Amino acid sequence: MHDSEYYRKIGFKCGLEIHQRLSTKGKLFCSCCTDSAGDSVIAKISRRQRAVAGELGAIDRSTSFESSRGREFVYNIFKRSSCLVEIDEEPPHHINMSAVESALRLASGFGANVPYEIEPMRKEVVDGSDPSAFQRSMMVGYDGRIVVNGKQIPITSIFLEEESSGIESASEGSVVYNVDRLGIPLIEIDTDPSIATPSEAKNVALEIGRIIRLTGKREGDAVSSEVQRGIGTIRQDVNVSIAGGTRVEIKGLQEIDTVDRIIENEVERQLKLIAIKKELLSNGAEVCKPKDLTKALRRTEAKIVKDALSKGGIVAGARLAKFSGYLGMNINPERRLGSELSDYAKMGGVGGMMHSDEDLSGYGMGKEDIERIWHELDMENGDAFILIAAEKGVCKKAMEFALGRASMALSEVPPETRAVADSKKGTTRFMRPLPGGSRMYPETDTEPVTVDREFYNRIKESTVYMDERAATIRKGLPNAQLADQLVASQRLQLYEYITSKVKGINMAVAVILLEKVKEIERSGITVNTDPQIMLEIFRIYKEGRITKAGIGEIIRELPKGVKDIGVIINKKSLSRISGDQLKRIITNTGGKSREDVMREIMSKYRLIVDGDELKRILGF
Amino acid sequence: MYSKELIDLFKGLGINIGDAVRVSGSGDVQEGILMPRADVGDSDVIVIKRKDGYNIGIRFNKESRIERVSPGHPGNFLFPKLDTGTNKSLKPIAMLYTGGTIGSKVDYVSGGVYMLTKPEELLSEVPELQDIANIDISNLMSIASEDMTYVEWQKIAEKAADALNKGANGIVITHGTDTMHYTSAALSFMLKGLNAPVVLTGAQRSSDRGSSDAFMNLICSAYAASRSDIAEVGVCMHSASSDSTDSFIRGTKVRKMHTSRRDAFRPVNNLPICEIDIKGNIRYLSEYKKVSEEKKKVELVSGFEPKVALIKAYPNSDPEVIDYYLGKGYKGIVLEGTGLGHVPSSPSIRELSWISHVKSAVDFGMVVGATSQCIYGRVNESVYRNLRLLHGAGAIYCEDMLPEVAYVKLGFLLGNYGADKAKRMLNANIAGEITERTELDFAME
Repeated sequence: MHDSEYYRKIGFKCGLEIHQRLSTKGKLFCSCCTDSAGDSVIAKISRRQRAVAGELGAIDRSTSFESSRGREFVYNIFKRSSCLVEIDEEPPHHINMSAVESALRLASGFGANVPYEIEPMRKEVVDGSDPSAFQRSMMVGYDGRIVVNGKQIPITSIFLEEESSGIESASEGSVVYNVDRLGIPLIEIDTDPSIATPSEAKNVALEIGRIIRLTGKREGDAVSSEVQRGIGTIRQDVNVSIAGGTRVEIKGLQEIDTVDRIIENEVERQLKLIAIKKELLSNGAEVCKPKDLTKALRRTEAKIVKDALSKGGIVAGARLAKFSGYLGMNINPERRLGSELSDYAKMGGVGGMMHSDEDLSGYGMGKEDIERIWHELDMENGDAFILIAAEKGVCKKAMEFALGRASMALSEVPPETRAVADSKKGTTRFMRPLPGGSRMYPETDTEPVTVDREFYNRIKESTVYMDERAATIRKGLPNAQLADQLVASQRLQLYEYITSKVKGINMAVAVILLEKVKEIERSGITVNTDPQIMLEIFRIYKEGRITKAGIGEIIRELPKGVKDIGVIINKKSLSRISGDQLKRIITNTGGKSREDVMREIMSKYRLIVDGDELKRILGF
Repeated sequence: MYSKELIDLFKGLGINIGDAVRVSGSGDVQEGILMPRADVGDSDVIVIKRKDGYNIGIRFNKESRIERVSPGHPGNFLFPKLDTGTNKSLKPIAMLYTGGTIGSKVDYVSGGVYMLTKPEELLSEVPELQDIANIDISNLMSIASEDMTYVEWQKIAEKAADALNKGANGIVITHGTDTMHYTSAALSFMLKGLNAPVVLTGAQRSSDRGSSDAFMNLICSAYAASRSDIAEVGVCMHSASSDSTDSFIRGTKVRKMHTSRRDAFRPVNNLPICEIDIKGNIRYLSEYKKVSEEKKKVELVSGFEPKVALIKAYPNSDPEVIDYYLGKGYKGIVLEGTGLGHVPSSPSIRELSWISHVKSAVDFGMVVGATSQCIYGRVNESVYRNLRLLHGAGAIYCEDMLPEVAYVKLGFLLGNYGADKAKRMLNANIAGEITERTELDFAME
């Protein structure tokens, strides 16, 4: 790990975009269900999309790239969680005002300015993730700030937008999407690029997450969070650049622990690409035109080539003059320059690409094959080649993309949107060129939203901000460590809900929700934390009818289907023994020491005797 | 539109829409491109496009300042010039542009979408067309289809006949979708002796979005006009919500059955003539009139009597509406009755019976046709007594004709042949509007 001085020297710049789903009942522009659990696919449709000129006329580089891939998109349509709006068969309904309120509330949590009039926009996306070919998005805040370890990080912009479809599968020429989550409102928080180190990026992400979770709406004694919880509901994108490199956006990091690692690797990747570029240029490297090698390789034993040819496809190759050794050069753990070219080729619809820095015999390529390639491509010493076999149109397209990437190796670190390739290793792969600004145009199917001061003030007045909320938690819990854990926990809202209804059992609720539930989950049980059921359990506990240990047993039983707590208590004999009844048990143990009695009773009646009460009776 | 005060302010400062501006006030400074304002909302809110592409609205008040940072530059619309009409090995077709969603773009004035005035812009986004046919594009008009009248039908028919008689292999007409089925019916009647495909097409999603159905509809229509042997007028639009095929549906048997879906156009009491995919494969599904070898000229019969009304009968409806039209000199009425073609005939409130009103209209020389608001199926003049009453009053039962088609047909007949002939021809098939048999697979959807 390098220090901040190192990152300053290499011109490191980094900004974050945090996306978090809001917990509204309906979607942003229709009333479809935002929780698709148990929903089913009722139909599939297939569509094609193309790039069209944006508001200012130019076709954005990322959209025209996607459009040139000419893929077919298939959408799985759901019963409750999608309607005609998601599949672009009906105009959007009125904007979900509770989503607008949530977004504005969160914007105020970041100290942002909010526009007087929110202008819904269309952001063109032709990767198919939206059947309408655009995502609706609007700016709800700008010029906010957060403080991380004493340093102020500007929050440049906050957006309210529609969640995209989830990808089900992708194959050559076609992608299948699920539209159930499409259109769920989400908030995007963007920082400026002043983050100084990868570890600072991680801390900034954590702090933004904390503010998002803790900024809530006051509802009586309780606070309701504005955001959904759970896997996939929060994602971070990072933007990284260094001097001599370029801005690269890495999308969809779900695990916050990998943020720093992925950024370190991106820095490394750009440094290597810059170094490679220098060497290639000084060696006089050059990208040559591709050539059809079908005839030359018609007798090859290489399986990939044989398969393509037997289906009537072609094999094409291209000479990369003075590239030898560079395609195989590591630029990230288990990622080479060749992997980058291969990523581009894949976008053309092939499974992959072969190149001369690989062990080609592994593909079944013989010595003669390689000699023929050398001959056909007029190869010289120090040259490399790439090879693609596929249906003719696909092969040509893939070759064009791969050679395009090879040419960029001589001129720049390409501005790209990248995806996580391996989250353990922290590596990424090319997704598409980085979008520019020209893919935005106004959403004309819906009207702007006026945020007059009265409306905004009302929202702010009903807001509980992070510091206040955390302070309340700390005040209510004597154990500071537990309080901090709770503030950072997913179950904070549940804790607040239960303790607002059942007073005086804060510690028990915190311990159960933080420690017991975690312990049960570790044993492989998915815990049902339905607020109503949890509330009832703690009410029964407060009435003295069960013990803390008994709560754990009930939670363990819940997933088995019985929802009536009373039934579970009876079935598992969890009714608490206390008072006179407990004293009778103690009397029956006559003659033993206090410690032995304690041990004996607790081992026998662990689930139904409260340890504290027993201690009290025994006079500890 | 901005308020007059703001427009004057911009003028005074030499600021134009599209300029880069800086707006400051109440401690907040925003830079961006000054955008036009839609007609909705507060006209004192300045909309600017920030560097990140997002628009925001800033309320302009006494403390606010606006200054020009730099002049705007016109959008660099990179429309590739499409090479149509030069490939002589392809069949010649005429494309008549009339407006509608298919040629719509974002409009900052109304906040909605506006129609292109240059159809070339639309075609340039569909380069596939230049390999399908040798296309001659005419910009006939640029209007929304709800604003169309018989005058536009006549103009389109005239232009289509002219192009066909000058050697076009077929015609593609781009049209707004709302009344496309009225126009297709009118053209079906007006183009007498048609010996070529005449294809109406449009879009349910404007062509400024990548998901628009316009692209596929244009491609399939160009195939239908250049490569099919159909000698009929038809509508060519999506068969399904998927971009799988388009259906070519007879112009007198088609109806818009959904407000917004791309497969809104369905055949009624009929099957599609064919389905066409994006590669030009045509799958014929039912009988149709084929292009004949002998080169006949199409005859334009474009008279139209505008004094014809389409009236819906429903519970409690007031039959005096007929007297109203009679008083205004109307020459024909098509009734959209219930069920098999009923109008209220013997209601408990006696003055709500339509029978005497229909009878007196007929006696005064009006032609009255009876159709059904069921849309699907055939009307019948004899099953029930009330049907016989209406028939007895002089209404002509229009078989399985769509109400809208019967309306267009009656205007056409009265405009060209007079009332006597119109009475005889109204329930006789001219252009596929009446089928003798209703097959089970003429399905309802």
